[in-house]
Amino acid sequence: MKVGPRRPLSPDANVIRALAGLLSETGLSEIEYAVGDHRIRVARESAGKTVLVNGHANGAHANGATHPSEAAEPGETAEAPAANGFRPRLDDPGLLTAPLVGVAYLASMPGTAPFVRTGDPIEKGQTLLIIEAMKVMNQIRAPRAGRLARILVADAEPVEYGAPLMLIE
Amino acid sequence: MFEKVLIANRGEIALRIHRACHEMGIKTVAVHSTADAHAMHVRLADETVCIGPPAARASYLNVANILSAASITGADAIHPGLGFLSENADFAAAVEESGFTFIGPSPEHIRMMGDKVRAKAEAGRLGIPVVPGSPEAVRDIAEAERAARAIGYPVLLKASAGGGGRGMKLARNPVELAEQLPLAKAEAKAGFGDDAVYLERYLDRPRHIEVQLIGDGSGEIIHLGERDCSLQRSHQKILEETPSPGLRPNEREEVLALAVGAMRELCYKSAGTMEFLYQDGAFYFIEMNTRLQVEHPISEMISFVDVVREQLRIAAGERLSYRQSDIVLRGHAIECRINAENPEDFRPSPGRIGEYHAPGGLGVRVDSALYQGYTVPPFYDSLVSKLIVHGASREECVMRLRRALSEYVIDGIETTIPLHQRLADDPEFRRGNYDIHWLERFLAQAT
Repeated sequence: MKVGPRRPLSPDANVIRALAGLLSETGLSEIEYAVGDHRIRVARESAGKTVLVNGHANGAHANGATHPSEAAEPGETAEAPAANGFRPRLDDPGLLTAPLVGVAYLASMPGTAPFVRTGDPIEKGQTLLIIEAMKVMNQIRAPRAGRLARILVADAEPVEYGAPLMLIE
Repeated sequence: MFEKVLIANRGEIALRIHRACHEMGIKTVAVHSTADAHAMHVRLADETVCIGPPAARASYLNVANILSAASITGADAIHPGLGFLSENADFAAAVEESGFTFIGPSPEHIRMMGDKVRAKAEAGRLGIPVVPGSPEAVRDIAEAERAARAIGYPVLLKASAGGGGRGMKLARNPVELAEQLPLAKAEAKAGFGDDAVYLERYLDRPRHIEVQLIGDGSGEIIHLGERDCSLQRSHQKILEETPSPGLRPNEREEVLALAVGAMRELCYKSAGTMEFLYQDGAFYFIEMNTRLQVEHPISEMISFVDVVREQLRIAAGERLSYRQSDIVLRGHAIECRINAENPEDFRPSPGRIGEYHAPGGLGVRVDSALYQGYTVPPFYDSLVSKLIVHGASREECVMRLRRALSEYVIDGIETTIPLHQRLADDPEFRRGNYDIHWLERFLAQAT
């Protein structure tokens, strides 16, 4: 999914500082933020160092190469891009993907506890998150029992069909 | 004007709309199925949203996901393109109810013209002659026989909710009528979800003549001349040209005035096409397409009017950029529909494109979403490219067409380019001497 923000982005120090702050706050290892031709990626190596990449893309080919999986041929691709840099295998039987387009919410209301946390035991049929589409809150339930290995989507993040949401072990 | 338009379509037409948007400084959102993740309309768009699996009913016809995609990307308007949801009045209404602008006619006009029986009744009311036919759908064989006797054999059975030639059956006598009625009803049900079928007199050698119209909803209407789309196979258009080589100037004036007059009375908004059969100096209205059409580029080539740009402006509440007196139709234009099909038996030929080289030069336009390394998916329409040529005269245009076809390289899949080459070389075609049954005979002779 390529989705642009509502206002133009200039790669200034404040934006980078804000992204780096988000990185520490959320505990993510990587955040990538793209607007048109501009791309900012802040990533943390395992030691905790912050790395900055400010990409400048031109035209279809460069856009297509923003995610390695987009540049690959259909069928050859077995990985899905995910918000935090972790790339689950699309054929992983524990991978939960978005069945519809909408906005993902990890909690029933802002400020309340999330439905699930990484490491939680999961029962089949349990509500894992909500996808809001056309003002309807669609509960996304666990297709199988297990342990929640990873959450691959951020709260209030727009998701397209097939977007990786969670990984159940 | 809009800031961001979501294009609810795929292939060359999605690209065509994207181009008009970008030339107007409008950002685009491409929606796509999982099978189209690498399609050109997706690669060029400013934003993209995957809306479902390959099957069109779960992706390109998935109204909920398309509206959600418009919502999460903050689009102002939705262009439906052609096919898919473009003539679905409920979709047009849902788009407007969700707070977006539908780039097309009013849901009411889509509904009126989408019901072919109602459309003919409306045309009659507007003073446009129609092919003699049953006034309503026929429910059973008794009704069908009564209607056929009144109209006169041979008759054509057509799906009320149909279009694109599907669900059409020919009956020359009562025995054939009894055979064909259940088949026509079954095809209508399968194709359009409604088994209503009506009858129409079958014309033995008509030309298909259609008029490109654009209105701004105020009653102001312009036409961009007529198109001759008589070269059809299984009711599918193969090659279109403008102006028609078969009309006299006074006949042309007559059909253009008829169409413009009717649309003025309806206060029609956006682009649309009125289709007629023409035989022995008479025109018969067959249907109206309330959308952009595949063959619109040939009208653009002779009029220098960008039809999609006008659609966008009008949807944004602006008036037409042109009055009829501003428009001068110059020269001749031909479009070849290049399908991913075997050029002899028309078997679909999806697959990966190897070498790709598009023709160029003066008066040559290629509307195609193909590129080297692209894989044509097997799930959708086989149209992969439109080669459009313009010349000062028909003769110059046909010579340019032959030249351009000989340059076009699409490696890795079979295409209908060889068929177009044979057509462009055929003496009858070069004289412009053909009707809607001509191509079927031409193909039968070849095999």
